Amino acid sequence: MNNYLKYLDKFTFIVIIIISLSGILLIYSVSQSLEQSYYLKQLLWLSISLIAFFIVLRIKTEFVFRSSLALYIILCIILSIQLIAGQIVGGTKSWLRFGFVAVQVSEFIKIPIALYIANILSKIRIIDWFTFCKLIFLLGIPFLLIAVQPDLGTAFILTSFIIISILLKRIKLSIIFVSIIFIIIGSFLSWNYILKPYQKNRITSFFNPEKYSQSSGYQIIQSKIAIGSGGLNGKGYLKGSQSKYKFLPTRHTDFVVSVLGEEFGFVGVSFLFLLFFILFYRQFNFKSKTDREFYFVYLFNFFILFQFLINVLMSIGLFPILGIPLPFVSYGGSSLLSFFIGEAIIFKIKINNYL
Amino acid sequence: MYIEKRILSIKDTQRISISVSIILLFLFIVLLFAFWNIQVLKCDYYKTLAIKNIYREIEIKAQRGLIVDRKNNIIAENRLNFSLFLIKKSIKDFEKTIKFINLVTNIDKEKILNKINKYKRYPGSYSIPIKKNLPLDKVIYVKSRFDEFPEFKIAIEPTRLYPYKSIGSHILGYMGEITLKELNRKKYGTYNLGENIGKSGIEKQYEEYLRGVNGVQIVLKDNLGRIQKVLSEKTPKIGKKIVLTIDWDIQEYIEEIFKDYIGSVGVVDLGTGGIIAIVSKPNFKPESFSSFLDRDEWNELINNPNKPLTNKFIQGLYAPGSVFKIVMALAGLQEKVINTSTVVNCYGSVKIYGRTFHCWNTSGHGPMNLYNGVKNSCNVFFYTLGKKLDIDIIAKYAKMLGLGSQTNIGLPNEKLGLIPTKSWKLKHLHQKWFPGETISVSIGGGMLSVTPAQVLLMISTVALRGNMPQLHIVKRIEKNEKVVSTFKPIFKHVPIKKKNFEILIEGLFRAVNDEGTGRAAKVKGLDICGKTGTQPIISKENPNYERLIKIYRFKAHSWFASFAPRKHPEIAVVVFVEHGGDAGAIAAPIAAKIYKKIFE
Repeated sequence: MNNYLKYLDKFTFIVIIIISLSGILLIYSVSQSLEQSYYLKQLLWLSISLIAFFIVLRIKTEFVFRSSLALYIILCIILSIQLIAGQIVGGTKSWLRFGFVAVQVSEFIKIPIALYIANILSKIRIIDWFTFCKLIFLLGIPFLLIAVQPDLGTAFILTSFIIISILLKRIKLSIIFVSIIFIIIGSFLSWNYILKPYQKNRITSFFNPEKYSQSSGYQIIQSKIAIGSGGLNGKGYLKGSQSKYKFLPTRHTDFVVSVLGEEFGFVGVSFLFLLFFILFYRQFNFKSKTDREFYFVYLFNFFILFQFLINVLMSIGLFPILGIPLPFVSYGGSSLLSFFIGEAIIFKIKINNYL
Repeated sequence: MYIEKRILSIKDTQRISISVSIILLFLFIVLLFAFWNIQVLKCDYYKTLAIKNIYREIEIKAQRGLIVDRKNNIIAENRLNFSLFLIKKSIKDFEKTIKFINLVTNIDKEKILNKINKYKRYPGSYSIPIKKNLPLDKVIYVKSRFDEFPEFKIAIEPTRLYPYKSIGSHILGYMGEITLKELNRKKYGTYNLGENIGKSGIEKQYEEYLRGVNGVQIVLKDNLGRIQKVLSEKTPKIGKKIVLTIDWDIQEYIEEIFKDYIGSVGVVDLGTGGIIAIVSKPNFKPESFSSFLDRDEWNELINNPNKPLTNKFIQGLYAPGSVFKIVMALAGLQEKVINTSTVVNCYGSVKIYGRTFHCWNTSGHGPMNLYNGVKNSCNVFFYTLGKKLDIDIIAKYAKMLGLGSQTNIGLPNEKLGLIPTKSWKLKHLHQKWFPGETISVSIGGGMLSVTPAQVLLMISTVALRGNMPQLHIVKRIEKNEKVVSTFKPIFKHVPIKKKNFEILIEGLFRAVNDEGTGRAAKVKGLDICGKTGTQPIISKENPNYERLIKIYRFKAHSWFASFAPRKHPEIAVVVFVEHGGDAGAIAAPIAAKIYKKIFE
C-alpha cells in the first residue's frame, strides 16, 4: 500500500479533490433555495467515493480488465430489471434503491464499457466492419436500456465512446460513409417517431431560445443571464439572485456552472476551467506499459472531457440541454462515485509504470 | 501475468499525447473566450436582465377622494376590494387561461377575449383588469392555483361605495372604465386602460380632484413572481375631498316624497346660491357601475323611456308654461307697457290676430289686474300683454333672468334650452317670426324650452329682487382636512327695478296665500310666494282631447317655482313633474312639504 501512495499522482489527485469540494461549495449555495441539504449528501458521497477510490487502487489492473465483460453484463441485467420492476422517481426509472440510498446504475456502465473497448482496440490495427459492429452492439444495449428509462442525456453521452475510438484508431472509410447515412436516416426517424414533444422542444429552443423564452428556451436564457450578470468578479458567494430567487433551473445539477458564473464571475469560471485543464493534461500525458491501459485512460478521460464540454456549452446556450451533469462538480452521488472509480483505475495505471 | 504485444510504439503514444494536449489547449481557450464574451463583454446586458427578473414595481391604487354633504355626511367613499388581473406575458396555455377565467368569473369566453384584445398595444407585462370585486372564495381559489396559473394577479383595489344607494345618484354620477376614446383626450393623458373614471355627475366634473396619487412599491420577487422582500415603498395619496352644498337629510326627504313621480326638484339656499337638493327621477344605483354591470341592467337603464341616467334638473328640456308669466310680468312692467292699474277683462278666451286664444279657465276670470293675473295665472291677461311686447324684448328679459343659458351649477353636460328670437328663427328655421307665436310664448309655450335649473335660477333672482346668485353645488375642496379652495357666493345684478319685483312678488304671494293657483303650497306661518305652471301636451281644441288626456303621456307637465319667506327670502324651490297634470294639485303640495321640512 505504501508503494501505491508513494507513486500516486498526488498533484492531480488534489486537483480532483479541489474540483469536488468546489462542487460542494456551489451545491451549498443553492441548497438554501432548493430547501434541501444536498451539500451534506454530496459530502457523504464524496467520502464514499474516496473510500472506493482507495479500494479500487488496490485491485490489480489485470483483474479489472478481465472482469470488465462480466461487470458489463451484470450492469446490463440490472438495467433491464430496473426497467421492468423499477419505480419511477422524477419521471424516470433511473434509480435503484438500496435502503436509504438511491443509485443510478446507468452512471457506472461507462467503466466496464471503457475497459472492454480498450481491450478490443488494443488487439486490432484498424477498425473494420466486424469490430465496428461489436462496438455498436456493446454500446447499443446499454444505450437503449438507458434511453427508455428515459434518460436521453446519459444514453447520448455513451455514444461519445464511438467517436473517441474513431479518433484513436484508424477506421475503414466505408464505415464512416455508411454511418453518416445511418445517422441522417436515424435522426430523421427519431425526430418524427421517437422523440417526445418536450425533447424536440429542447432542440428547437436551442436554435431559437428567445422564441421559447417562456417554455423550453427559458432554461437557456436564465442560465445565460446568470452567467452574464456575474460579470468579471461575480456577485459574491451566496448572493446570486438568479439562483437565490429560483430563476435558474436544476441549479444543483445541470446548471451548476451557471451558479459558479453568477457568484464568482469570469474569475471563478476560469479557475475551475484551469483545474479541469490540469486534470485532463496530467491524465493524458503519461507513460503506459500496455496498449489497453493507454486506450482505457484515453477513452475514459475523453469521456469526462466530452461530458465537461457538453455541460459547460449547454450552460451558455451553445449546446442543447441534455441533462448532463458536470463531472465531479454537479450534485449526484452515482456520477461522483463512478468518476472516482474510473479515476482510480487511471491512477493505478499510472502507478503501474513505476512498479 | 498478462503479457501484451504492443502495437503502439512509444512514438505513437507521444504523438497522440502531444496532439491531444494541443487540442485540449485550443478547446479551453475557445471556452474561456466564450465565457469572456458573455461575462465581460455582454455583462451589462445580462445584468439588466437579471435585475428585470427580480425587481418589480407594484402600483398601489390610491383611494378616491370622499364626497360629503354640507353637514359632512359621507356620501361617496371607498371599499377595499379584490380585483383579478391578467399578465399576458406569463400565459403558458392561452386556452387554459381563458377557461380558468370563465370558471372563476362566469364571464363569457367571447367577452374575455374582447377584453384582452383591447390591451393589444400594451406591453405583455401590463396588468389587465379582468374582474373587479372578486368574492373572497374566488380569491382563495385563484391564489391556491397560483403555481399553475402564474399569469393571474390578485390586487387589493379601492372601489367606490355609495352608502345612500340610489339617493342623489344624479348629483354623484357614476364611475366606469375609461374608454379608448377618452384615453385619447388630453385631459386623461395620465390614465391607463382599465382604470375607472367618473362618467357623470360630481364624479366626472371633479375627476381631477377626486383622483388620488397612486403609490409604488418596489419588491424583490422570485421566478414565480412571489414577493420575497419589499425594497421601498411610496404610499398612495388619497384624492381630495369634495364638500357639497347639498343637505343630505333634505335630499333624502325629497327623494322619499317624490319617489312615485317622474321629474325633478331643486332647492337652493338663497343666502349663497348653494344648492340644497337636486332630485331627478327615476334614479339609478351608482354603485352598480363600480363593479360589473351586466348587459340586462345596462339595457334597462338605457332603454327606460323615463331616462334614469339623465339628470332632468340640468338636462331635461321642457316648456316652462305659466311659470314664464314671471318673465312676462317683469318685462311688461320694466318696459312700462303695463302697470298695477292695467286691467284686462277675461271672458275665457280672446281673439288676437284673427285667432282665438283660450284661457285655462274657460268661464273667464273677469276683470284682471297684474296681481290677480299672476295669482290666477290668467292667460288672457298675458296674451294681451304679449301682444304689446316684441318677441325680442321678451327674449331679452328671459335671458336676463337666466333662461336659455347654462346655470354652470357644477355638473357636466348641462343643457342650454331655447328662448326663441326673430333672428334665431330666421337662422335656424329660415322663417320669419309670426306675431301669433309671441302670444303662445307669453304663456310659456311655443318653442320655449328650459331646464328646471334655469327656472330655479329665475325664481331665485326674483326672490332676491334682481340679485342673481351663482348657483353651485360644491362648497369647498379639502385635502387632508385642509381647505384647498372655497366657493365664494357671487351675485349678479339684473337691470330690473326693485319696485317691479315687489309688484310681481305680491302676485306670487297672492297665488299661494290668497286662494290663487298655488294655494296648495300654503304653509301656515311661512310667507311662500310661488307660480304654478301647467304646460299642456295636447290642445283643448284637439277633437280627441277628452279621451287622450287620460293617457299618461298626454297629461300636462306640472311646474311650481317658489321661494320663502317673502321679505327675507332664504329658500327657493322648483318642482317639476313630468305629465303630472294640474300643477296646483300636484307640484305645489310637494313644494309645501319641502318648506315644512326645511323650516320646521
